[in-house]
Amino acid sequence: MTQAEINLCSLLLQEHFGEIVEKIGVHLIRTGSQPLRVIAHDTGTSLDQVKKALCVLIQHNLVIYQVHKRGVVEYEAQCSRVLRMLRYPRYIYTAKTLYSDTGELIVEELLLNGKMTMSAVVKKVADRLTETMEDGKTMDYAEVSNTFVRLADTHFVQRCPLVPATENSDPGPPPPAPTLVVNEKDMYLVPKLSLIGKGKRRRSSDEEAAGEPKAKRPKHTLDNKEPIPDDGIYWQTNLDRFHQHFRDQAIVSAVANRMDQTSSEIVRTMLRMSEITTLSNAPFTQPLSSNEIFRSLPVGYNISKQVLDQYLTLLADDPLEFVGKSGDSGGGIFGSRCARIFRLVLQKKHLEQKQVEDFAMIPAKEAKDMLYKMLSENFISLQEIPKTPDHAPSRTFYLYTVNILSAARMLLHRCYKSIANLIERRQFETKENKRLLEKSQRVEAIIASMQATGAEEPQLQEIEEMITAPERQQLETLKRNVNKLDASEIQVDETIFLLESYIESTMKRP
Amino acid sequence: MAGNKGRGRAAYTFNIEAVGFTRGEKLPDVVLKPPPLFPDTDYKPVPLKTGEGEDYMLALKQELRETMKRMPFFMETPEEKQDIERYSKRYMKVYKEEWVPDWRRLPREMMPRKKCKKDPKSKKAKDTGKVTSLTNTADVLKKIEELEKRGDSEKSDEENEEKEGSKEKSKEGDDDDDDAAEQEEYDEEEQEEENDYINSYFEDGDDFGAESDDNMDEATY
Repeated sequence: MTQAEINLCSLLLQEHFGEIVEKIGVHLIRTGSQPLRVIAHDTGTSLDQVKKALCVLIQHNLVIYQVHKRGVVEYEAQCSRVLRMLRYPRYIYTAKTLYSDTGELIVEELLLNGKMTMSAVVKKVADRLTETMEDGKTMDYAEVSNTFVRLADTHFVQRCPLVPATENSDPGPPPPAPTLVVNEKDMYLVPKLSLIGKGKRRRSSDEEAAGEPKAKRPKHTLDNKEPIPDDGIYWQTNLDRFHQHFRDQAIVSAVANRMDQTSSEIVRTMLRMSEITTLSNAPFTQPLSSNEIFRSLPVGYNISKQVLDQYLTLLADDPLEFVGKSGDSGGGIFGSRCARIFRLVLQKKHLEQKQVEDFAMIPAKEAKDMLYKMLSENFISLQEIPKTPDHAPSRTFYLYTVNILSAARMLLHRCYKSIANLIERRQFETKENKRLLEKSQRVEAIIASMQATGAEEPQLQEIEEMITAPERQQLETLKRNVNKLDASEIQVDETIFLLESYIESTMKRP
Repeated sequence: MAGNKGRGRAAYTFNIEAVGFTRGEKLPDVVLKPPPLFPDTDYKPVPLKTGEGEDYMLALKQELRETMKRMPFFMETPEEKQDIERYSKRYMKVYKEEWVPDWRRLPREMMPRKKCKKDPKSKKAKDTGKVTSLTNTADVLKKIEELEKRGDSEKSDEENEEKEGSKEKSKEGDDDDDDAAEQEEYDEEEQEEENDYINSYFEDGDDFGAESDDNMDEATY
């Protein structure tokens, strides 16, 4: 793992799980597989805290364990999985577009809790949905279960590896750690549960109790007593499936950009048909006959068979091969002219200096300047083609070329760095204005409580004036900046996704 | 070599025109220091995408961040002692649900090992000891008050005795401090218990002497 990735993982773990978990997690990412005592010793944290941190990490599928010889259990961190935490909003939003609010909440709960049993998910989601519904209405468990089943059928959620059923005749001491078994067949099998019930609305008295000290809070006695019917069967989100969805979306939009709406619809249909039949990282979908495609086209598109065939031939002939990333730098650091040169070199594969100037229609001096800038940043590389065996420089062609794979890797590295910078800047901004933020929160709380008890307008205004106008301005600016930084994080993550998919798919080609 | 233009003259080994510089042109300076940390960019970055989806994802992200902080998975670092104990902090503690992992899925060494309590009796006694130490000081103060009053009826003394007797029983196995306090009280109790007479009878020598002086020893000079 590169230093940039480790740094980013550290920031993400710290934001989401606190410093102790961050320390343990980063240590494991850096050093690889380690047993419990070594972790405690090397990080200088107490054994108790290390255990708790590891439990949290394992629960969220960020750390796996393995039993080695002599009964030593070693723990290993999954750096790439940690980086996926950047993408949580995108997963949840996708679930919302596909399965509406219910699906969105199911995916959100699974992501927040790592793994859960189906009954627990259904119950929690039903409660949450009931909160948002009008008074008197409740969400039925059956509806939530249905959405869950649909998510499982389309492979967006999957079962976690199971603990094998222990046999009573097993002699000797139990193993130090269970070996989890992945059952391929049952991975999407939903257990037959008859979940009957409705979501409960949290009583307002409970909400007030939230402010009281811990001792007075009523304990959760009721829920734990009932036996859970699907005990031991845990579910998790299937991130690969989401990635497949994103990839399909990217392909469809790329085709739409390049050609027109209809062709993108055709491609979308092809992809949808091969959703479950093709593995998520296969280089090509299963071959589909044009008849099948014709039958599966959505109802609104009545194009004739010949037109469909024409479109298909067009798509097949397109030199861009839309299963790959086409190295768009889009302006950015070097400007759109550089982008033109870059695209040109990319398309023509190899170009001489003079040819670059001619094709791009950019004056020689500028073209040179840009080429060298890109060269120094390793976007473009030089390829030597000697005319004579002694490689004399005066008699050698120097061609500019783009090595996409290395350019992609380099861009990816820069992306990780930029997201880390964005997160740090956001944390810095928040810390700078901490006092002001706390003050505004307190004022809001006061206003809310006063409104609840029915205060009059002048009183509320008085409280609001506690925050002066320049302070308000400051808060506005802060909010705007933080929003911008957050939005940038999300969009850089989209780029990361594209680059990573590209690198992964390119590496697999024989 | 044929290409050598003569000794001493600067000659490039390759065709300089291919690279693009004409002869005699000023070459750019050699850069001797690392590039600046925040270089000025001539071009502005591509603007962020805006739209309903992006807005929703932004709101989600910020919400998720807040929610994660409240989950039981977020392990708080124990804060250093603040200079002043703020009263409001007691009431602003965020309530977190307890999370117990499924121990069947985890290696056995993950289970926290409970330290075996040495002696449940002594622990209980310590607790009550702490409670009674407060009441002990309260008792001592009470005692002092009573001793000052001196002339209370025996009934109230007996009541006090009963109270102290019960507390004495619960004080078994206490710390030295408590023991010392106990001892004091015990002595006093013993004294009180054994004597049926009022304590003040033989104590105030001055008054007694003065009284007797007044009454009997008039002649002593």
